[in-house]
Amino acid sequence: MYRILVYIGAALLLLGAFAFGVSLWEGPTAWHTDVRTFWGIPISLFVLWIGLAHAGTLISAIFLALGYPLGRRTSMVAELSTLCSLAVAALFPLVHLGIIEKFYMVVPFLDARGNFSNLRSPLVWDFCCISVYGLVSLLFFATHLFSEKFPDLKKLIRPMAWLLFPLVLWVHTIVSLDFAVTFVPQWRGAFFPLYFIAGAIYSGLALVIILLTAEHCRVRVLEKLMLGLSWFMAFFWLWEFLLKGSFSFEVVFLGAVVPQLMWLRVIRENAFGRLLVAFSVLVSLGLERYILVTPSEYNAAEYFSCTDLGLVSFSLGLFTTLFFVFRAKFSSLLEGEDVVMGEIVLQQDESDKESEKISIPEKNDFSILRLPLLLGVLVTLLYVVWAVSVENANLAPLSVVNVAPLCLPLLVLVASFTLCARPLWGISGKRVKLVCAVLAGILGCLAGAFWAGGSSDVSSGVVSVQEVDSPKTVEFIWSSRCASCHGQDGKFNEKFVREFYPLPQKLTPVRLDTLGEDSLVKVILDGRVNMNPYRGRVSEEEARGLVRYMRHLAGEGE
Amino acid sequence: MDRREFIKACSVVALMQVLWGCRRLPDLSGGKVPEIAEFEKEVRLALSRAKGAFDLVQVPMPGPLDVHGASPVNRFGMAIDLDACDGCGKCILACMQENNIPLSSKGERDAGRFMHWIEMHGGTPAMCFHCGNAPCEKVCPTGAASHTPDGLSTMMYKRCTGSRFCGANCPVGARKFNYVDSVKEGLARKFNPEVPLRSKGVMEKCSLCLQRLQDHKHAQMATRPGVEWRGSGLKTACSEACPKNAIIFGNWLDQESPLVQEAKHRNLYVPREIANLDPSVVYMRGRR
Amino acid sequence: MDAILNALYCLMALGTSMFLWRRPVSIFKEMGILALSLVVFGLFSYLTMDLAEPTLEYMPFRMLALCICFSTTSLTSHKTRYLVLSQVLWLWVEFFGGLTFVYHGLDMPWTRIVAIGAGAFGGAFLSHISREMEFLLMVYWIAVWMFF
Repeated sequence: MYRILVYIGAALLLLGAFAFGVSLWEGPTAWHTDVRTFWGIPISLFVLWIGLAHAGTLISAIFLALGYPLGRRTSMVAELSTLCSLAVAALFPLVHLGIIEKFYMVVPFLDARGNFSNLRSPLVWDFCCISVYGLVSLLFFATHLFSEKFPDLKKLIRPMAWLLFPLVLWVHTIVSLDFAVTFVPQWRGAFFPLYFIAGAIYSGLALVIILLTAEHCRVRVLEKLMLGLSWFMAFFWLWEFLLKGSFSFEVVFLGAVVPQLMWLRVIRENAFGRLLVAFSVLVSLGLERYILVTPSEYNAAEYFSCTDLGLVSFSLGLFTTLFFVFRAKFSSLLEGEDVVMGEIVLQQDESDKESEKISIPEKNDFSILRLPLLLGVLVTLLYVVWAVSVENANLAPLSVVNVAPLCLPLLVLVASFTLCARPLWGISGKRVKLVCAVLAGILGCLAGAFWAGGSSDVSSGVVSVQEVDSPKTVEFIWSSRCASCHGQDGKFNEKFVREFYPLPQKLTPVRLDTLGEDSLVKVILDGRVNMNPYRGRVSEEEARGLVRYMRHLAGEGE
Repeated sequence: MDRREFIKACSVVALMQVLWGCRRLPDLSGGKVPEIAEFEKEVRLALSRAKGAFDLVQVPMPGPLDVHGASPVNRFGMAIDLDACDGCGKCILACMQENNIPLSSKGERDAGRFMHWIEMHGGTPAMCFHCGNAPCEKVCPTGAASHTPDGLSTMMYKRCTGSRFCGANCPVGARKFNYVDSVKEGLARKFNPEVPLRSKGVMEKCSLCLQRLQDHKHAQMATRPGVEWRGSGLKTACSEACPKNAIIFGNWLDQESPLVQEAKHRNLYVPREIANLDPSVVYMRGRR
Repeated sequence: MDAILNALYCLMALGTSMFLWRRPVSIFKEMGILALSLVVFGLFSYLTMDLAEPTLEYMPFRMLALCICFSTTSLTSHKTRYLVLSQVLWLWVEFFGGLTFVYHGLDMPWTRIVAIGAGAFGGAFLSHISREMEFLLMVYWIAVWMFF
């Protein structure tokens, strides 16, 4: 079963790999864009997959945090799907960049040349939130996965769930801000955070329902939740229509009407019926994302090119392959062949909330969270104070509002790593330790290299920058280097110049103009008949300044 | 192998060699440079595909900038006289030559995109309005789009990662993205040695002829030290090229500037979308 | 905005909160009520508010958040936790809504945000919530809604 799914995924991946390569090679012309649409399909796919990545944490962490833990298999499947869709989602913003290798400029970290990314931009928040979300989700997954073998880890799960709970909502809020803060009329909306979160959870639930169907089980709560969320989505679409007049029949039909089929027993109790509804939700949300990202008057979906379809296929294939490969890998890693990823093997229709409830000690659960949280708050405060106070000549000073979106991810990152570092380090084997140490070393080196900055040579193709700012400097160079022959006032030092033969011509304004600025700069740098070359002692910019100063002196002499 | 076969084989080899020699070698040098006539042709094409007119609203005269570290004496801008302008498009060509703007490839033209920094919107030229409170600068993740103290919204090409967020957030669509490598495609021509050619994957837009401002400033600093620089006597390429003198460049904070002298007696307008963003480039219409 | 209209919005939120968490609690019933009240809030604010007013964009969601806040007082278990969470939801709506307005040139409603934040923070320390306390909290929320 899984093998077939992996093959299907790999086939889709191969089909799409070509489109992916073309997109990397060609850049943003590869997919459909137009006068108003600068982004196109990669950002739509990014928003869709980052939304799907919320399923895992929602289902696992939020339910666990609120004291309604789901079956281990359900939550593990959901968490794994989070990681895989996050990996897919993270690819697309990179592909979409005009100059991919410069993505690191988005990191909000000061380098040696004083370059600091613009913290007012939602893209910077986005980058940070998603990286943190990926790291913390990985940590949560690892803790959850190994908690069977090492009971020590069990007490970490609930505190971790509480850390992830706000983070997951925060991440999608920030993604929505990418759109909501802009001046594009179709993207205006203070309600976008909630709209995006609802859409993300909705599509995430659909994905988990599909994945659970592949596991031959179902969780009723999730189906009920999905149906309930479909009403909320219907309201959001109504609200969009009321405010902006934008409406898409396909989206509303597939996303709000088709799910109501779950009321029918025939559909609800049939695996194919559930699959139909879940896929319809996914298609609707994908289409909705695409329409949102493409603010054109016409229906952009009709202009789908091969590359656009290829990228969709690539994302689907990559997710399917990643998910089922890891799924198979971990099921063999853990216990026997049959007991997959956990202790509870769900029967069909058995998984009601009450029956699954696992008693987890409520008291004294969170005392281990105190120190990491304190540390996180401290680091966050330090960062905020530092970022707000960084002097940046190019950018306006930051306000707290600009830094606020980074606070929670930073806090959660520090807190969760302090929380899990020691227990995880204790249980990991030598090889894992080695890999971790090497990775940490590489990361440190990278940060150091970034801090030090690259070479500051002026790149070819860029005009040389003239930096004769202060007239004082030019005057000083003139009197120290030129005045001995040319005189302080630009007229020749008669006593000295008389020695030369033929007698040098007077530098009148007319003569200076006929010679031209560039050739005079050359004369200063390379010398001429009686004139010594000054290259190395005088820079090109200074020479240019000197020529202008010379003209100024000659003009005054008239 | 008999003789006949040998000759056959030889002729096949010879034929192959001839074919190999005749193949069109790909031009790796990228040395093709377009003729000026091609630029003129493209401007005519762009004029025939003018975009819709702006919805204009009246605004007061731009005052001092409200941004970090703004200069109290200089704020450069332009005013476009809608009564004088007849939409001839000479400014577009002058701008292309001053700023080394490349031609657009066929695919780009079909998508309705030109690299021109000046475009016709319903018969009136429009470029970047250099908003004092520019939305594009707020969303640029790397700070490549930033403001000068003199009121110019500038681009640092080397710092641009091409996320195109600024383009999406510009209410009037003044920002142009380099979708293709114009040098390699033979679409770019370096008319002006003082302006770099932009690489593939970066954003660009009207710079208000930044290079002219810089040169003017440095020349004055070298030749007339101690005199405060107000940019008097300077013109952008488009304002120089306008046969009707409909584009007036100047310093909004200098009462002697031709811009202020003219704008004082006129009604000023800007597109509705950016009316609240304190633009430095405005339209003039009617006398007051 | 009109003070009377504002009071009306608050009353609507209070009214719909009465239907929530009635026993027996079921996912469908609560979600249905919430979605329905959202529709009512949306239509009502759309009809009564000026379309050019930007705060219209998140009005129904603010009302929903307030409604959820009110409804937590009728919970039987985990009251403190949900009290804090619902106020955090309200804070969330206000803060991120305000953040988008900041980028469009409006001011952040700082007093309101600080007031809700203080409510959420203070609520976390309530171990037992008496009837009087519930009443006080509701008055506090109404005051925040009406005056900040």
